[in-house]
Amino acid sequence: MALGQNSAWRLAIPLKVFFQRFAFLSLICLSIALLVLGKADLVVMERVRTISTDALSPVLSTLSQPINALNKGIERVRELASLVEENERLRRENERLLKWQSVSRSLDRENDYYRRLLNALSDPLVLPITARVVGDSGGPFVRTLLLGAGTLDGVRVGQAAVGPHGVIGRVVEVGHQSARVLLLTDLNSRIPVALENSRHKGILVGDNSSSPKLEFLPTNAQVSPGDKVVTSGDGGLLPAGWPIGMVASVAEGQVRVQAYADWTRLEYVSVLRYDLPGLTDKHNNPGDLGESKLGN
Amino acid sequence: MTPSISYQLHRILRGSIPFWISLFLIFLSVVPLRITGFATVTPSFLMISVFYWSLHRPYLLPAPVVFLLGLIFDILTGTPMGLTSLMLLVVHGIAVTQRQVFVGKAFVLSWWGFFLIGAGIAVFSWIVACVLELTIIPILPVFIQYGLTVLFFPLLAWCFAVVQSSILKHI
Repeated sequence: MALGQNSAWRLAIPLKVFFQRFAFLSLICLSIALLVLGKADLVVMERVRTISTDALSPVLSTLSQPINALNKGIERVRELASLVEENERLRRENERLLKWQSVSRSLDRENDYYRRLLNALSDPLVLPITARVVGDSGGPFVRTLLLGAGTLDGVRVGQAAVGPHGVIGRVVEVGHQSARVLLLTDLNSRIPVALENSRHKGILVGDNSSSPKLEFLPTNAQVSPGDKVVTSGDGGLLPAGWPIGMVASVAEGQVRVQAYADWTRLEYVSVLRYDLPGLTDKHNNPGDLGESKLGN
Repeated sequence: MTPSISYQLHRILRGSIPFWISLFLIFLSVVPLRITGFATVTPSFLMISVFYWSLHRPYLLPAPVVFLLGLIFDILTGTPMGLTSLMLLVVHGIAVTQRQVFVGKAFVLSWWGFFLIGAGIAVFSWIVACVLELTIIPILPVFIQYGLTVLFFPLLAWCFAVVQSSILKHI
């Protein structure tokens, strides 16, 4: 009896080791298979991704709150030190801006008038949906953000995401209550842009570095550091004329752009609902003005 | 005598602590900390956790769980799915097979081991990512992340050791 048990054990242990090895190797193979399949843009994998992100984003959102509070506290203390200078600076800035406000009002009116004279079609008004950033790319291979808003809030794939200073990227994945933004610095980001003054068009190509490249400019385009870069609106996905950044360097035919966005301080991000009649599909991008009465 | 249900439940809950710790560390590395440039070089806390528990309690963090943790990390960060799983499985495999080298020896030895394995993983993951994207990805952030991870290792390992000696002593 004891002998039988013994031999059973002798058989069981190598079997266990064998199965463990087998499981280990098959999991490695599964990881590799996932990597390869991921390149094929399978719908199933995307579904898995969005559903899981959706499920996990409330946790992230809760966790990020104390960290936000802490950061705010630190900032508050830091600001206390320079309160007087800050106040002085803001007062001067306010004066300057008030002047600008009156100028822009009159320009706006003038613009309206000319537009009516020419009977020019204006771009549809853009409605922002503002959402909190609940996650960032915790690693060196991707540049993405996770937002705490999804289809339920009107966020759709392809919409532009803007920070307080300018465009930061585009929505690439969207779940019911979460959305992933591909930042314009990411390897896979391509954004149609134009140089603000010369109106030369190009594509802003991310390469995971902090300053993306400006490519496909016409050969005769004159570019110099400091030129402003805005969205061109080509392709009808992003609204035209939104600020992105400035040309940072021009060297050996390579133009680098420094984005206005402050990547580390993105706390809230606005997603732009933008609907070009006839160009965008209502089902994919129902963020038109008719849906909300805000634009009227 | 078979142990009571509450005892077994208790045991299972305690046994799953390495998993919960790892899951928490995933969230911690994804939550925006708003430190300049930190997002791209966030230390891989998860890798430290997998390495530590694979050494000290391999049966509490078996390969399928490691795979799952890697997958969750990939899903949350938007990394190509399977990349982190693959790297963590390699770390797990090395740690489990080399247990006798590290367990029961001086702490510096496991730190050194992690230093070596981490370097290998950094290069390996960079190569895999480059092949996947068919471009050269800047390698500097990868190495900064690796350096930070190695620096964070003693702190986390100490925390894990406290957990291990208090809650997981007899498991």
